[in-house]
Amino acid sequence: MQMPFEAKRCGVQFSPPSIVIIYEHKETKKVRKRVIPVRNFSKYSDCNMAAERLKNHPRHRDYLEAVTQSQLEKLHIILKDHMQGFSLVHSLASFHLDPDEDLNKLSDEELARKKGQMDKLFEKNRRHTADPNFVYDLEVDFTKPTTDRCSWDDESDDGF
Amino acid sequence: MAGDLGGISELDQKKYDADEQVKIICLGDSAVGKSKLMERFLMDQYRPQQLSTYALTLYKHTATVGSKTVTVDFWDTAGQERFQSMHPSYYHKAHACIMVFDVQRKITYKNLSNWYKELREYRPEIPCCVVANKIDADLKVTQRSFNFGKKQGLPFYFVSAADGTNVVKMFREMIKRAVDYKQNPSDFMDEVLQELENFDLEKKEDNSGEEDELKVES
Repeated sequence: MQMPFEAKRCGVQFSPPSIVIIYEHKETKKVRKRVIPVRNFSKYSDCNMAAERLKNHPRHRDYLEAVTQSQLEKLHIILKDHMQGFSLVHSLASFHLDPDEDLNKLSDEELARKKGQMDKLFEKNRRHTADPNFVYDLEVDFTKPTTDRCSWDDESDDGF
Repeated sequence: MAGDLGGISELDQKKYDADEQVKIICLGDSAVGKSKLMERFLMDQYRPQQLSTYALTLYKHTATVGSKTVTVDFWDTAGQERFQSMHPSYYHKAHACIMVFDVQRKITYKNLSNWYKELREYRPEIPCCVVANKIDADLKVTQRSFNFGKKQGLPFYFVSAADGTNVVKMFREMIKRAVDYKQNPSDFMDEVLQELENFDLEKKEDNSGEEDELKVES
């Protein structure tokens, strides 16, 4: 079933704290803005739960189909950071990905920040079931007669 | 501890002894895309069961292997990997293991050896594979060879949960191997180990001094 709305962009508004969705009405092709005030949310709230609540909200969920829960979580984190007095620059910097960082060591919220960032690429490269060239069991053979040895294997071979 | 064990048995791991039931576990660092892979394979039919107390997510799936219908429970971590180690019940009665790393993060590849070591402590014989996820980020990685697992003869897959490359193939092959493993009566290694553990346990109970409660699991 195709949703009548497709979210194009999402963002936040600090006052009053709201999530903003720019979406297209699939039938009329009209682009509209929806401002969703964030209720029962404070600087002590759990962003993950708040995001889940919004994602499943009966009045808003149809507009949020194309917005992942982790994107919503990220927006809530930005709102929460603002409530705690952090700047937007600070919030955005905290989403920065360092490929050498051990993410196992992060707290739930710190990890959510990184995952939100990774989701950007995921969504960009994602092939949806609705795409005309979607193949469920897509197979690609990568076996090659000569392969470069992976530099990740080069150093100490402990356990490898 | 008794409460803890009672809780785990609520998951009713006995059912995995039945012929038509297999348990497949996922291992790997935080944010390598384990859940995303599950969701890509199961598509719309996925109904994950969150067991947040155990930092665990279960996905149920029905598959046809040959002429048989099997119920597959996929066990996915929900942050438990943060402790660099999984609770023994995670491995208990597993029939196959999918180990995942992120091709964009070397540390997740390096950590495979720790995950594999822990897996083999609990499940020395079950089929296992190595999955290189997120190849959509940079297809050039597929020209490289990743040697971890080669010595152990583990199958290797380049996959992308985002565009779907090789995801279904990998899951289907692992389900088949899990079922084969379960049906292969010559492979009695696990039972032997089980017996040994029980034996250990009995001895310890006799001593009644030190207790190793983790072993009660098995």
